[in-house]
Amino acid sequence: MRIAQEDRAAYVAAGRSAMEAGPSWLKLDRHEALENFFRAGFPAREAEAWKYTSLAALERQQLHSPAPGVEFLPDGLPAGHLLGYGNGYALSRSSALPESMLGRLDAALARTTLPAAARFGTLAGRESMLVALNTALWREGLVLHLPAQWRVDEPIFVVRTIDEDGAMVHERSLIVLEPGAEATVVELCNGRGDYWRNPVTEIFVGAQARLLYVRLVEDGVAATHTGALFARQAQDSRLDVLSLALGGQLTRQDIALDLAGAGASATLHGCFLAGGRAHVDHHTRIEHTAAHTQSREIFRGIAAGRGCGVFDGLIVVRPGAQKADAQQSSRNLLLSPHAEIDAKPQLEIYADDVKCGHGATVGRLDESQVFYLRSRGIGDAQARALLTHAFALEACAAVAPGTLRDWLTQRLDGALDRLVEGGRK
Amino acid sequence: MLEISNLHVAVNGTPILKGIDLTVRAGEVHAVMGPNGSGKSTLAHVIAGREGYEVTAGEIRYLDRNLLELAPEERARAGIFLAFQYPVEIPGVANIQLLKSALNQVRRARGEAELDAMDFLDYVQTRLALVGMKEELLYRSINEGFSGGEKKRNEILQMAVLEPRLAILDETDSGLDIDALKAVADGVNALRSHERAMVLVTHYQRLLNYIRPDRVHVLAAGRMVKSGGPELASELEERGYGWLDTTAEVGEARA
Amino acid sequence: MGKSENVGIGELMQEEYRWGFVTDIEQERVPKGLSEDVVRLISAKKGEPEWLLEWRLAAYRHWRTLSEPHWAKVHHPPIDYQDIHYYAAPKKKAGPSKLADVDPEILATYEKLGIPLKEQEMLAGVAVDAVFDSVSVATTYKEKLASLGIIFCAFSEAVREHPELVRQYLGSVVPHTDNFFASLNAAVFSDGTFVYVPKGVRCPMELSTYFRINANDTGQFERTLIIADEGSRVSYLEGCSAPRRDENQLHAAVVELVALQDAVIKYSTVQNWYPGDKEGRGGIYNFVTKRGDCRGARSRISWTQVETGSAITWKYPSCILRGDDAVGEFYSVAVTRGRQQADTGTKMIHIGKNTRSTVVSKGISAGEGSNAYRGLVKVLAGADNARNYTQCDSLLMGSRCAAHTFPYLEVKNDSAQVEHEATTSKIGDDQLFYLQSRGLSAEDAVNMIVNGFCKEVFKELPMEFAVEAQKLLAVSLEGAVG
Repeated sequence: MRIAQEDRAAYVAAGRSAMEAGPSWLKLDRHEALENFFRAGFPAREAEAWKYTSLAALERQQLHSPAPGVEFLPDGLPAGHLLGYGNGYALSRSSALPESMLGRLDAALARTTLPAAARFGTLAGRESMLVALNTALWREGLVLHLPAQWRVDEPIFVVRTIDEDGAMVHERSLIVLEPGAEATVVELCNGRGDYWRNPVTEIFVGAQARLLYVRLVEDGVAATHTGALFARQAQDSRLDVLSLALGGQLTRQDIALDLAGAGASATLHGCFLAGGRAHVDHHTRIEHTAAHTQSREIFRGIAAGRGCGVFDGLIVVRPGAQKADAQQSSRNLLLSPHAEIDAKPQLEIYADDVKCGHGATVGRLDESQVFYLRSRGIGDAQARALLTHAFALEACAAVAPGTLRDWLTQRLDGALDRLVEGGRK
Repeated sequence: MLEISNLHVAVNGTPILKGIDLTVRAGEVHAVMGPNGSGKSTLAHVIAGREGYEVTAGEIRYLDRNLLELAPEERARAGIFLAFQYPVEIPGVANIQLLKSALNQVRRARGEAELDAMDFLDYVQTRLALVGMKEELLYRSINEGFSGGEKKRNEILQMAVLEPRLAILDETDSGLDIDALKAVADGVNALRSHERAMVLVTHYQRLLNYIRPDRVHVLAAGRMVKSGGPELASELEERGYGWLDTTAEVGEARA
Repeated sequence: MGKSENVGIGELMQEEYRWGFVTDIEQERVPKGLSEDVVRLISAKKGEPEWLLEWRLAAYRHWRTLSEPHWAKVHHPPIDYQDIHYYAAPKKKAGPSKLADVDPEILATYEKLGIPLKEQEMLAGVAVDAVFDSVSVATTYKEKLASLGIIFCAFSEAVREHPELVRQYLGSVVPHTDNFFASLNAAVFSDGTFVYVPKGVRCPMELSTYFRINANDTGQFERTLIIADEGSRVSYLEGCSAPRRDENQLHAAVVELVALQDAVIKYSTVQNWYPGDKEGRGGIYNFVTKRGDCRGARSRISWTQVETGSAITWKYPSCILRGDDAVGEFYSVAVTRGRQQADTGTKMIHIGKNTRSTVVSKGISAGEGSNAYRGLVKVLAGADNARNYTQCDSLLMGSRCAAHTFPYLEVKNDSAQVEHEATTSKIGDDQLFYLQSRGLSAEDAVNMIVNGFCKEVFKELPMEFAVEAQKLLAVSLEGAVG
């Protein structure tokens, strides 16, 4: 629904300050995006993509653009490049990479000679009003642009903290890997308060390039997070995406992968925990546009308390994408009587020589497994905790064994312990 | 019965067979041996008419007909049978359904009357006994959930039912334990006759301990590099394939 | 069925759609278009009581507030609802009571379709209600069934003879406000079949309705209501066909099933409406609402459908599992070829405790056909120990076809177990070669593989229908692989 005149002030103010700097084409884009958002407003429940998730509370909330805040660095963060953002502002940077490769997006777009600039906005499109609002209001931003054959061995951590009630922060990232480049990016979202985070990330993986991208959501218990991630892969490239949604009041992740080059392969793994009254919604779309492409999608969802988890995963095989091979699995656990899971795995196939399949399950822990463990002397609660952890950890298999996986596993384990504890009370 | 001359076959433009000559007469059992990737299975599939193999030169004659002109089913009806290395699973189609349709197709082609359900069952019983297979497997979906041994035995059962004139057994021994191997060999031996020719395609000599071939050929890098009597197989078993000069002239090998 | 059993598959394959003939009979129709007057006219022609007219008018008024749904994965030019005759009937009597009264032309039509209506020639064990355009023209074995207390008759006859039953159950499963096409049907439905099986009675024969659209520019809006009282059992079959015509015709039927405690209803459909020609001209728009209500404990409703016809199929036979321990089943084969489009599936709504449902859907897309499975499994908070298993496979033949799978799993009870599995694959080259190398022709090999693919569904059909369904499939897929 359109945004009423009297409700526009906060957005207009945020837009004005965002538009102060930057090239004129960008200002035009921002202006148009804001107009579009005002006309169409927040997505409504009537839209099929928002059938299970309501943004009504967000729509009613008084929001404002915050001042720069602080960054919360979590315990035991493994060694690597580190960028810290507070309330959307770049606060710290610790990396040997030059600023032109890893730095602020606004600076990169100001230098229009940079090839990465030409890609900005080409994946995010104009359909989504949340993306439009991000386009209008993002500031500073993040760019990672690796030249051909450039390999970054250590992970790049981007820590994004928001710590102001009523803050709205529209983070924007552009990741471009030229042919043969390799990198690992871990985006950590945390914070405190009833803020709204609305990040948009665009990823281009060049021919034979490899990227592991992890989004770890540990937002504060009152926060709303609506994230959109778009990726396009060139031939023989490899992209691994892991989405861990472990915090926040309302989390919505829209993830769209396009396997546009022949021989490209992707994995999309995710795990979400919805306890208390949390609502976690993943909408994924994997498009096989080119021939001989392969995708593997594995999602594990756990809902406890009065939590609600949503998985909506679409696989599209376009005409001509022969020999496409796509497998999708969504398994979900309900840990308490009032929890809810909605799963909607979908296949849309327009080519004939393909191998596609999906499976989805919703249920409790397998009692025969619980019994087996108990018959070996393990207590009931411990047996259940053990099985629940094992269930969730399947999602982390996307990351190669090592320090990073250990750290992610720890984060997941900690969140799960809190969820199971909370569920028992 | 089967005459292959100067056969060249390519797959996706890559030459696999580079000039094969092979003559098999009625009543003979030939073994085609060779290391992995030598082109053995390609030869078997080309004879059965699988698509995707491009014959770039040479010919195959079978009972004085140009075999390469025939569709796979026409070859089957003319008496050619391929026992697959990896028999395919077909969910929902019972084994017995395939046996009955296939047999009646072949019988029709031979100018014989089709068997009705009762006669067919009686006939299948005799064949089951021959290969020592459980009747229960007749009513299961084709090869679905079969063990490796059951699949191979099922191939031999089909052969026993269809009574081909020329049977090609592609790596029928692979993946079988010694009991299953014996059972399969017994089945094959029972089907040997002066009217029927067989070609055993195999990597190892062990099947030939149970089925004694009349001729043994060695295929390497797409060429027949050596031919001889059954003693050649034992020689290969002792010395492996390494001692063979794989670049040897094609002319050395004669069937 | 019947005579068609003697026709070999080879012979059937030579034909495109052999049910496409037109019967030349005198008919009466109401003028094209829809208005309150037309609704009143239809009701008056059938001599309906006031309450039914009011119900129709309420449906009509509601329908006017709705717009045609477009969420399904099907495309068609806009339908002009004012350019359709909403009632067509063979002239003479609206509902003949004796077969001797039926127009011989119509009897001949059913004869030609393989559905003999003369009792001495009838298939043993199958009672038939024949619906020709908008009205029921004959119902067989009525007396025999009546001796058991089973009511099997035309809907309009049920309105006259058993108004209390009709009034109690009509619209209780699919209300007149349910959806666009269901409301349209409630306003203008002309006839259909009514079945009531009393307490504890097992219906000794298959009940069957054969629907035939004959008139041109005419929509068919029949309504079927089946009530299985406590502890009873009934198996019902439905078949359909239509002449080959260049324009699209609308078929918007409603089927309501009510199963009371311990009752079992098995509902089977072989749908073979005219699918249109190769270029997509003509064909039936089959927009149907079918729903079963497992109202009592331990009741069971099972839907089996083989969908080979229609230009567009839009239907979701569903089960509301209200009674504890109720069971719902859905078995479906849907074939699309040429330009056919199907968007079909089911809804399983688990309300009662220990309710179970099974869904097996097999979609086959050939040529430029588009086939979508759309299904909902919903477990409400009170449905303890609900179980669902869904399996949904698509087979693709030809590079221009499309296959889609859209399942919705909504679970609000932690003791539920819901499982969905789907696969999409091409008909296997290696399977085809294997069968061909055993002497089968390419055509026979395809038929064998497809029949194997559909076997789990065919085994749910009564014997005569299973044979018919396999033949239909063979005809439908002729030339699909070449």
